[in-house]
Amino acid sequence: MILGVIVLTGAILGRTMPADDSSTASQPAAQTSPIFTTAHRTVGDAVREFFGTRTKPVQPIAYTHKVHLANGMQCTDCHVGVDQGPDARIPSVNFCMTCHQVIATDKPEIKKLAAYRARGEDIPWQRVYGFEPSAHVKFNHAPHIRAGVDCAKCHGDMHTQTVAERKVDHTMGFCVECHRQNNASVDCVTCHF
Amino acid sequence: MQRRDFLKISAAGGAAAALEGCGNPDHQLIRFIPEEDLLPGIATWKPSICTLCPAGCGTLVRVMQGEAEVVRNGQLGILKMGLAKKIEGNPAHPINQGKLCPRGHAALQVTYHPDRIKTPLQRTGNRGSGQFKEITWDEAIKQLVSQLSALQASKEQGRLALLASPLRGERRTVLNNFAAGFKSAPPIEFEFFDNRVLQSANLQSFGHASLPTIDLGQSNYVISFGADFLGTWNSPVAQSVGYGHMRKGRPGQRGKFVQVESRVSQSGASADEFIACPNGVEGMFALSLAHVVLRDKLRAGDAAGHAGSLIDGWSQGLPDHAPEKIEKQIGVSAATVARIAHEAAAAGPAVVLIGDAATAQTNGLFNALAVNALNALLGSVGKPGGLSFGAGWSEPPASAAAGKGAADSIQKLVAQLQSGSDAARVLLLFNANPVFGTPAAWGVHDALGKVPFIASFGSFIDETSALADLILPDHSPLESWLDDVPASGSARTVVSLAPPAMNPLHDTRSMPDVLLDVAHQLGGDPAKALPWKTYDEALKATFTTLYIEKGSQTAKDPDEFWKKAQEQGGWWSADEKTPAPAVGKFSGSPAKIPAPQFDGAPEEFPFHFLPFASQMFYDGSLAHLPWMQEAPDPLSSVMWGTWVEINTRTAEKLGVKMGDTVEVASAHGKLQAPALVTPAIAPDLIAMPIGQGHENFTRYASGRGANPISILAPMTVESTQSLAWAATRVKVSRVGEGKIVMFGASMDETPASTKHR
Amino acid sequence: MAHQWGMVIDLDRCTGCEACVVACHAENNISTVGEDQAARGRAKHWIRVERYYEGEFPDVKTKFMPVLCQQCDAAPCEPVCPTFASYHTIEGLNGQVYNRCIGTRYCANACPYNVRFFNFYNPVWDKPLNLQLNPDVSVREVGVMEKCTFCVQRIKASEIQASSEKRDVKDGEIQPACVQSCPTKAMVFGDLSDPQSEVSRLARSNRATKLLGELGTLPKVTYLQRDSWHAGEDS
Repeated sequence: MILGVIVLTGAILGRTMPADDSSTASQPAAQTSPIFTTAHRTVGDAVREFFGTRTKPVQPIAYTHKVHLANGMQCTDCHVGVDQGPDARIPSVNFCMTCHQVIATDKPEIKKLAAYRARGEDIPWQRVYGFEPSAHVKFNHAPHIRAGVDCAKCHGDMHTQTVAERKVDHTMGFCVECHRQNNASVDCVTCHF
Repeated sequence: MQRRDFLKISAAGGAAAALEGCGNPDHQLIRFIPEEDLLPGIATWKPSICTLCPAGCGTLVRVMQGEAEVVRNGQLGILKMGLAKKIEGNPAHPINQGKLCPRGHAALQVTYHPDRIKTPLQRTGNRGSGQFKEITWDEAIKQLVSQLSALQASKEQGRLALLASPLRGERRTVLNNFAAGFKSAPPIEFEFFDNRVLQSANLQSFGHASLPTIDLGQSNYVISFGADFLGTWNSPVAQSVGYGHMRKGRPGQRGKFVQVESRVSQSGASADEFIACPNGVEGMFALSLAHVVLRDKLRAGDAAGHAGSLIDGWSQGLPDHAPEKIEKQIGVSAATVARIAHEAAAAGPAVVLIGDAATAQTNGLFNALAVNALNALLGSVGKPGGLSFGAGWSEPPASAAAGKGAADSIQKLVAQLQSGSDAARVLLLFNANPVFGTPAAWGVHDALGKVPFIASFGSFIDETSALADLILPDHSPLESWLDDVPASGSARTVVSLAPPAMNPLHDTRSMPDVLLDVAHQLGGDPAKALPWKTYDEALKATFTTLYIEKGSQTAKDPDEFWKKAQEQGGWWSADEKTPAPAVGKFSGSPAKIPAPQFDGAPEEFPFHFLPFASQMFYDGSLAHLPWMQEAPDPLSSVMWGTWVEINTRTAEKLGVKMGDTVEVASAHGKLQAPALVTPAIAPDLIAMPIGQGHENFTRYASGRGANPISILAPMTVESTQSLAWAATRVKVSRVGEGKIVMFGASMDETPASTKHR
Repeated sequence: MAHQWGMVIDLDRCTGCEACVVACHAENNISTVGEDQAARGRAKHWIRVERYYEGEFPDVKTKFMPVLCQQCDAAPCEPVCPTFASYHTIEGLNGQVYNRCIGTRYCANACPYNVRFFNFYNPVWDKPLNLQLNPDVSVREVGVMEKCTFCVQRIKASEIQASSEKRDVKDGEIQPACVQSCPTKAMVFGDLSDPQSEVSRLARSNRATKLLGELGTLPKVTYLQRDSWHAGEDS
């Protein structure tokens, strides 16, 4: 028992040893380590996963889903590919600027947007949903869309949200319950491989 | 208390401090605006060409969006870009037909190698110290141009030397035109397994200075003298596809495969019949087979035509090669020779191959001529189930621009540098690594050290490019425009073409584009010789001349043709070409097969020494790839190292056990490596894979194992300039206990159900 | 009826080239462990090529045999797992659920084929080698057992593609990485529940054997034995 504790803490800390990298000392070590390992990028990530908590993402721009949807846009206008493959696209700054070159250019958030583009930078959107690598889940959007699952079923009603929030907790229970209701496979390798 | 709760409490103390900093953009690298419009998670397949060996297989690269840490304008950041994720064979490509060898898969790691040169470098420390500083492309090109201008100013253009691993297609044109425009000697080509001996024999016998394309799929009888045609020789994937068809692709019909060599190679391991034969007598063996065919009138005597007329005594029925007369010399009983000859003649179509060590003897050229004559006699040339020539690329005649006394080989270049007369003052290096790939006795390292200025275009520091003063790193193949005209592997004429599969990861530039840039900055003749703005413009100009030919795609105009070819991975002719056989070019008296010569007195050096191509490292140029290092060798299961193969009984006599460190010494050097005791090698032979023993070749290969090439005697194949790399004798002694890393070393013996039937 | 995935490996075609071994590394994000760990028997090759010698030179016979997880129907690895990480999937694969695995390594001890591999450390890729990783496949962390999955990611992708086109998966449509790369076409993959499939047809060959079949593991990989010249049989 005690031995188990030592081994476990050792494993958590051991997997996060930041490697020395003097050539890029100006950057936080955890991001520019010359090696890549799996599981958890930092000690923080490991601890958060262990406790089952996720920090609330801080978005660089207070993008409002509500306003865009109210203006008649569809989810798939920006999140292209959601019906074709595993992931939905998060648009790049160039895509936003196709409209915001002319629309609402005086708003402070749009000025931020334009500033990113002027600096040659993309917007560092932070993940809201998505599975940790240690969850070993290979989720694929396309079959869910084809099966007629509404976006809101997993992402909440975006018409009421400004900055996207994690309205639905994607626990395994949540997934399995819906799979059972719809006679979809609940074999482990349906999602875990 | 629950176990889980207890663990949580224990873990919480040490971890609280590390919680901040995530999910917040302020603490992360900046993101660059993507240059490509890709859908995440969806793969696209882009045609490309494998460049890791001369076979020229066509590939498909799986490209998916990913996030790469890149440096742009001096700043580190994250870029969403298309990244190569997997390489497969291109099913449409006539050479490899959708298949790939292990090396081809690992080509991915060339692009993502952590020790790839990421920016231009200028030497700061002593030569070979490995100390370089990063410079900009403008500075790098300026330095090269000023060195070349200085040669022009002092009218010493002939003192520019270009040293390249053999190139085909448009890259070759760019390099040749650069040399011609500058008025230097043409590029010197160097690679360890150059197959020049066989090309030369094929020119004499059949009028084609190329490697044969072998129609194994329709053959009923295959005899291979030393050629590892399923591993690394010639076009191994094309040959493996054909071999699979020969064995089990034709219901009710299964070809026989006979391998003749002194060590069971990876190909020999699959043979139906393995015939042990000492190195250097392959030609005699082939002629004794021919003798039986002629003696027993299995084929008409004049069937061999020109190829036969090159062999002394052919018209008399090769009386000196009666199996009974030479069975002692070739170590094969007369009865076996007669049986094989009759089987081959009866089975038809039959084909005879020769390569690797059999052509790397001092008499290698004659061995090859003998096999050519046997093939001609059996009627295998230009026929289904046999071999054909001339559909692919072949060695063009030596450039007329070569001035008198110009160095046309690495040996001559070295001799000039050693004597100092006409010696190169500027050397441009294109991926060739002769310091690793030549015997130490040739003195290449010290000679190249005398060149005042060396510029390298390679992507890695290796033993040769470590001598460079300036490094102008090329894109990786996946980041480059590629084209190739494979020499063999398909009876169709194949011209492969591929645009870059992904954008460059680092601050590199395509080698031909840099040469174009340099030529334009020099102006005058060099600029005239290379009139194109970019390499793909040059490529398009050449490639689209094919569009009127009947082939794999039809197009209404050259532009459409260019576009379609990029989608398909090239162009190939509609018809399989079987050029007329036996139009050889040879003047002189017919060849008598000379006895092989070996370096080292048998009393002092009792063993023959056989270096062989490694299935994973080929000639050593792939030892830097971790997948190749960790893949177990198919025969030895060795990983991350090298070994010395010693016959079981010999090892017993020497007191050597598996894994012991042994010393192998020739008259020209010695090395140490672990022993691999095996029944699959002749008792008087010591064999070693080529590939390890790099002094300086990235973190994965440096300082690992020993290089057998280094101790080879400087013997050449008679009538050629090629190294006779299987003509050295050695002695072996035990040094002490050692270490050998093998996969599955602890696994059980042969399971009962898998025994030979 | 659910698919039952199986494979046939023709040893008369196999040349031991190991294209399958490297293709598998590339497809399945198998990490290299380096010389020191490899020396301790910790290298991970989901598929390996076994080589057997019989006799002494010059009468030495050599044989190659690719060995991968046999996806047994009576798999010794499954009942010994205390966390049900090793389990039998509906489509007959020996599934390995990494989330459940706590690293007892009982399954590796139970497996008679030596095809299960344990992650003694977190895998490491010297950057930017991590960019080669296949996003369709999980990267396994320290303490987790891993093994051949028959490229389940490719099976799933083909099944999803087929269902979007409202059809069943076609014979030959799914190729695990090893099968796709094999230059001599020694490996064939398909559905054993379909008697018309190529893999079913070949599995009925009179050269067919199972590796360690006498143990009663009911492997779903069938080996076709080396043939001899002029045996002239139809398979």
